[in-house]
Amino acid sequence: MSTVQGAAGGKLAWWESRRTRDTILRSISYVVVIAGAVVLTVPFLWMLSSSLKPAHAVFASPPEWIPDPVMWRNYVDAWTAMPFTRFLINTVFIIALGLSGELLSCTVVAYGFARYRFPGRNVLFIILLSTMMLPYVVTLIPTFLIWRTLGLINTFDPLVIGAIFAWGPFHIFLLRQFMLTVPVEMEEAAIVDGAHTMQRFAYIMIPLIRPALLAVGVFTFQAFWNDFLGPLIYLNDMSKYTMNLGIYFFMGGPAEAPQWHWLMAMSTMLALPVLVLFFLAQRYFIEGLTVTGLKG
Amino acid sequence: MQPHLATAIRFVIVLAGVSGLMVLVHRGLRLLNVRREAATGYALITPWLVGFLVFTSFPMIASAYLSFTDYNILQPPNWVGLENFRRIFTRDIDFWPAIRLTLLYAFLSVPIGVAGALVVAMLLANDLRGIGIYRTVYYLPTVLPEVAVALLWRWIFNPQAGLLNRFVVPVFRLFGLSRPDWFGDPTYVLPAFVIISLWGITGVNMVIFLAALKNVPLHLYEVAFIDGAGGWKRFRHITVPMISPVIFLQVVRGIIGALQIFTVYAFTNPTPRAGKFMSFYIYQTGFQQFRMGYASALAWILFAIILVLTLMVLRSSEMWVYYEGERK
Repeated sequence: MSTVQGAAGGKLAWWESRRTRDTILRSISYVVVIAGAVVLTVPFLWMLSSSLKPAHAVFASPPEWIPDPVMWRNYVDAWTAMPFTRFLINTVFIIALGLSGELLSCTVVAYGFARYRFPGRNVLFIILLSTMMLPYVVTLIPTFLIWRTLGLINTFDPLVIGAIFAWGPFHIFLLRQFMLTVPVEMEEAAIVDGAHTMQRFAYIMIPLIRPALLAVGVFTFQAFWNDFLGPLIYLNDMSKYTMNLGIYFFMGGPAEAPQWHWLMAMSTMLALPVLVLFFLAQRYFIEGLTVTGLKG
Repeated sequence: MQPHLATAIRFVIVLAGVSGLMVLVHRGLRLLNVRREAATGYALITPWLVGFLVFTSFPMIASAYLSFTDYNILQPPNWVGLENFRRIFTRDIDFWPAIRLTLLYAFLSVPIGVAGALVVAMLLANDLRGIGIYRTVYYLPTVLPEVAVALLWRWIFNPQAGLLNRFVVPVFRLFGLSRPDWFGDPTYVLPAFVIISLWGITGVNMVIFLAALKNVPLHLYEVAFIDGAGGWKRFRHITVPMISPVIFLQVVRGIIGALQIFTVYAFTNPTPRAGKFMSFYIYQTGFQQFRMGYASALAWILFAIILVLTLMVLRSSEMWVYYEGERK
């Protein structure tokens, strides 16, 4: 069929036909999507390429995209230029505690909001949601003063203990939304069987909301891995630095000329665990974002 | 490993304490003849409630109080009334440039970011071949750690050997402009940050828009198509109203995020002559100069700005946000 009946019933020229227009639109979409993908990946490739260059080649003009020779040593040199192994241990320690605290507390709180009726529940839940909008700068200084009064500045405590108190309203919200989709009948059956609250929670709810837990886990991991202001404010001794803080001081002040090949190696190493985690848990990550984004 | 062990022990103690508190809340409420279900509910939300009181409500009140004081940590806070605010608005040479830079950044990056994310999401919502791979690539900015990205940008914007200038310098030369020193020349600091925010367009916003687009019922488009509505009309009268709650949410989140940008600024280290971003200025005042009262006043001004802008968006939302379940 070379011509198509138009909406008005008259014949259309070939360039007016739907199929042609679809093809054109599709081609444009392809071009734009691919161009966008290139724009997004080029900086990333540039980072990889710079990280494998010898120091003198970093500033070469025109730029070399394929490093020659490939300097795998940059990674070792950058890593050993400062006690990064120690920084990594500190970061992993903070993440381990923070992650477990956050997961435990947020699921428990979300369970309360999702399954139990009590006076003031809706008001409290709205308050919880509105704290999502609260800028962190307002609470930053008094929170610091609380930890200072407790004598816990320059310890890891301020970075992890808050997690026990479910400090991610976003995570509670996500878990609650997910729990609401679980049929109540399952828990009612368990009540008949004589299961008490904690048993129902642990044996019925938790296994059923695993995808949401994984999503929260990924987000929390990302939040701790990205956190820079917290360690910057609370940690003083270099032996307690996290990766981000270490890199910040490794970068040097404004006056110094940074060692770009080393810094790019550090950037790559910083990105690697998160990228791996993302590829493993991509589904949960996207699902989590979707649930919270749509029903907010 | 000493500090780790100490923190781990305190962590376990607090964890046990909170669990104990939950049991106590439950027992106490039961003794007061509260229904079993309600008592359990309160017990379960106890961790958040305590956290909210200790780490949100109290700091809010404390920081409001501190904003009227002069406090250097070593001596107790000294009440100065409105002096901090008077100083900020009249004599502080850093304040207005900081406000200007922060607001301009928000006004430029938020609309571009939300509109851009929507366009990209609409492109990716098409069933193109190999779309899975493109989507994964488009998630990169969401996934890459902020610090790694900030360092990368600092390198890309490097005036001598940065990737950007290798493309930009020839163009600039055509217009008789010299090689841009992105973070060193005050003129270019704002454009540089807007460019960085452009790269982040495909981040979280896009993922959420993508999901929202998939939730628009297909039959609406079919009906509109039969009625002869073209692509633009379908977009304007179906897509936009149907996803308007999501757009609204993104705008609000965007404003809050843009006004508090910190890490990228700290790592790219631009010249202070362009003004500093507010959150960085607050950090410097509070944690480098230990003027905690003054910094609290600055924080409240930033908070007020965020609040006013959010309320403005909220007010306007009645005109353009459509909630499907809502009855008027």
